[in-house]
Amino acid sequence: MRRKFGPLTILEYICLVLLAVLFIFPLFWMVASSMKPEAEIYNNMSNIKAFLPSFHPSDWFVSYNQVLLRFHLLVYIGNSLFYGLCVAVGSIIINGMAGYAFAKLNFSGKKVLFGLLLAILIVPFETILISQFTIIHSIGLVDTRLAVILPTLAGAFNIYLFRNFFMAIPTEIIESAKLDGANTWQVFWRVMLPMSKPAVATVGTLAFIGSWNDYIWPLMVLTDKSKFPIQVAITAINSTDPVYTNQVMAVLTISTVPLIIIYIVAQRYILEGIGGSGTGIK
Amino acid sequence: MKKWLVVSISLLLMFAAVGCSKSESVNSDGKKTITMWVHISDDNEEGKVYKKRVEAFNKKYSSDNIKAKIEFIPRSGNGGGYEDKVNAALTTSTLPDVITLDGPNTAAYAKSGVIAPLDEYVKDQEDLLPSIKQQGTYKDKLYAIGVSESSVGIYYNKRMLQEAGVDLNTLPTVDNPWTWDQFLALCKTLKEKYDKPAIDMQLQSKDEMLTYALTPFVWSADGDIISKDGKKADGVFNKKTTVEAMTFIQTMLKEGYTTRTPVKQAFETEKYSMKFSGVWTVTDMKTNYPKVDYGVMPYPVSPKTKKLVSPSGSWQFAMTQTSENKEWAAKLVDWMTNKDSNVELSRTIGALPVRYSSEKVMVKEFSVQMNVFLKQLKETGHARPVTPAYPQVTRAFQQTIDDISFYDQNKDIQKVLDTHAKEMQSAIDKAN
Amino acid sequence: MSKIGWKENRTVYTFLRPEGRIKNKILWKENVVAYTFLGPALLLLSMFLVIPSIMSVYYAFTDYYLLTPNMRTFVGLDNFINLFQDPIFLKSLVNTLEFVVWVIPLQIGAALGLALLLNKQRKANTFFKVAYFSPVVMSLVVISVLWLYLLNPNEGIINNVLTYFGISAQPFLTSPKQAIFTIVVVSAWQGAGFQMLIFLAGLQNIPGDVYEAAQLDGMNKWQRFIYITLPLLKPTSIFIFITTLIGAFKLLVQPMVMTQGGPVNSTMTVVYYIYQTGFTDRMVGYASSIALLFGTIIGLVTITQRKLVKEDED
Repeated sequence: MRRKFGPLTILEYICLVLLAVLFIFPLFWMVASSMKPEAEIYNNMSNIKAFLPSFHPSDWFVSYNQVLLRFHLLVYIGNSLFYGLCVAVGSIIINGMAGYAFAKLNFSGKKVLFGLLLAILIVPFETILISQFTIIHSIGLVDTRLAVILPTLAGAFNIYLFRNFFMAIPTEIIESAKLDGANTWQVFWRVMLPMSKPAVATVGTLAFIGSWNDYIWPLMVLTDKSKFPIQVAITAINSTDPVYTNQVMAVLTISTVPLIIIYIVAQRYILEGIGGSGTGIK
Repeated sequence: MKKWLVVSISLLLMFAAVGCSKSESVNSDGKKTITMWVHISDDNEEGKVYKKRVEAFNKKYSSDNIKAKIEFIPRSGNGGGYEDKVNAALTTSTLPDVITLDGPNTAAYAKSGVIAPLDEYVKDQEDLLPSIKQQGTYKDKLYAIGVSESSVGIYYNKRMLQEAGVDLNTLPTVDNPWTWDQFLALCKTLKEKYDKPAIDMQLQSKDEMLTYALTPFVWSADGDIISKDGKKADGVFNKKTTVEAMTFIQTMLKEGYTTRTPVKQAFETEKYSMKFSGVWTVTDMKTNYPKVDYGVMPYPVSPKTKKLVSPSGSWQFAMTQTSENKEWAAKLVDWMTNKDSNVELSRTIGALPVRYSSEKVMVKEFSVQMNVFLKQLKETGHARPVTPAYPQVTRAFQQTIDDISFYDQNKDIQKVLDTHAKEMQSAIDKAN
Repeated sequence: MSKIGWKENRTVYTFLRPEGRIKNKILWKENVVAYTFLGPALLLLSMFLVIPSIMSVYYAFTDYYLLTPNMRTFVGLDNFINLFQDPIFLKSLVNTLEFVVWVIPLQIGAALGLALLLNKQRKANTFFKVAYFSPVVMSLVVISVLWLYLLNPNEGIINNVLTYFGISAQPFLTSPKQAIFTIVVVSAWQGAGFQMLIFLAGLQNIPGDVYEAAQLDGMNKWQRFIYITLPLLKPTSIFIFITTLIGAFKLLVQPMVMTQGGPVNSTMTVVYYIYQTGFTDRMVGYASSIALLFGTIIGLVTITQRKLVKEDED
């Protein structure tokens, strides 16, 4: 059924490429700006050179060098990776379990709880920060890594997503697993999760991105700087006068690249994961 | 079955390990700790100076039963992050002994009993610059001392001015400032020569910079934002004097001498010939634009009063009401702002000093440009209004500037001022 | 396995929809098992979302000032009475609605368009997907800062491109009239990649044979889109609509970074105003009352929307 190269196909490709340019150019600008001296960024602002690194390759990594000298970036990145991975793994298990209960188990109060879950989607997080902090404080977790991780583990959207994915798995499969002697946990761990790799990838990646990009919450609960995540460093660089735009861009590049890589790796799964939920939700 | 056991156990262990890595316990040597929070990162120069000074403090008082500890909580651009953390600590009564706070927060923190007066402990207040005392004082008591001082002036590109036929020797000085009219004339020359705005006044920055940098025009016209006792804005802010200052700013815009939408870093890249900016730009010019030959001139003044007024202010150190070691906390505040700390900070980050004693040292070390700022600050520095309703007052001021910059829609400046003076007033009434 | 055909999916759904109507007695043991599974999530959600939200609801009826947390007193409906006389709040409500009304069709339309373009076997598809998705991965703050540079009215790249094509330079974010639309476009651009993926998955779940049958019936491309693709995409679209709607109502970061709510309050949104009154002005009580009222509004809109769609389907 595949068409040969016709004028329409060419038109399509032109469209695709133009759109790709439209979506990706800020990324290029960010990377290019990190690879040139401060003054060049502004002098180039009005032409195509804005998207090209400096013409002197010796300038390319100067800002990276400076940033690495000024800040203990590696510690911050290490911390961010740690938080991101914990949050990703934790969200998969905790939200997966809840999603499974909503999808395949019977219990009293299901409808009410599910309605509540939807209501939680609406809460703007920014408004409850201080109350969240009081709770972390009252359970004695201030300035621990756990305080960064715990509040971000359970999420209504992710439970919702798992629920819809699990619902689409035929009940017969569960029944037959049970006949083989599996208990509910084993059904969940050995049948449901492996059959939902896309959902797992989606929740994991979204949780990782969310944790990676969080700034205010970690800063609020941590005082020991050896536990700070990368976003704190970015903020510090961005708000210390004088601000060096090329250094800011270098840090931003350093902090964005891992996300892009994770996305590329996970994208095959993500696509299917979101799709599985998308087709199901009413 | 085994697989999940392994995974969950390792997860548990991991979490446990995380839980245990709490920050170090009290003190191994049994000394009392005074904790201090600062709003910046110790990765940058300012933070490093603080760290050094705390170490020096501990060394000096090593025979006493006390140890100071500093914690770095970098704020975001709009002060978020750090202030959120202070607020959160407030609700759980876990504030440290010493905190830093931005100048305009003094009144709110003092009124709410977050910070405690220093007068009992800090005796030598005569050495502090008046602008610093003004900023840290609420209801006649000194609550906070600035870490450094700041100022704003007009940066000009020497080459561009000369090429436009301006004799640099005729430019104003702190002793002999220009009036608004003289300054407008200079802008006209530059605008005609380069066919571009003459100056970037940073009117696009809809933040504290507006209040900080533009209120001196109001003060120069003998006006004010709120009354001296901090109780009235309506009838103060909307006086004729403010109208005069706002008319000057509007004229700058209307004639195209400045713009609401400046090109980024236009002065630094020699597109505009002048920039209205803070003392921190000196460092920026030195590191990033060393080729630009520039000078600094003071604020232009109202033609009626000829009174030069300049802005001032910075973050400050203060001790908290909840501190159990007030004497030592105050000692630390004093220490962090004493002559040695102050000189070291000024040398490192190119900030202005807060004391006469350190000013005497720095005046010999500073560049010509820095000394213009220093002299202007020492002789004419003015702190921003001290009121618990400052957040709303400053926002109303910023919106006033925002409104008048749309000059075709807001021809009646008086009306704009009336509206915003009422907003300020209602916020002040609520806060007091 | 993970690909779920639309048919099974629908059956599963019609079969499961009357969840509440499952009349079978739920055994005590079943409850124990289910709540064990729900336990961790419920515990964490209540600790960090439900309880703080309930606290906020209570604060809405107090005069809680951020710096004096122990001195709050109950003030009844005072906050709400003030709210309805607060011109900035009313303006922020109008702005938010305006934003929602524009961004929803733009963002969802763009996402659908991109998904349709990519819904084909192509070697380079991964690249395009990554490209279109990249703004989603970047942090909102980063994106907003970048656009601020790009949209600079004088020497920003966007205006340079416009003038190159003979269009006069636009003020964008610095004009009270254009600012909110500029934010609409930037937000749609930023978020569309995410919805695109959902649409794409939805599209790929439509079995090819349905199209082939339609082609045999003599339907042209456009007809197939209208009569097959769109109806079969409905569940996906509803999901996208609801989540995008709630997200759009919560707009905060873009105006905060790009315009600080200006010029002349033209981009002040409700959540930004909540943030401003609660954190900058420290009036937590007042901010909580806005949050409560606004939450109720979003809740009502969502419920109505769900009801409407359901009736439409039956």
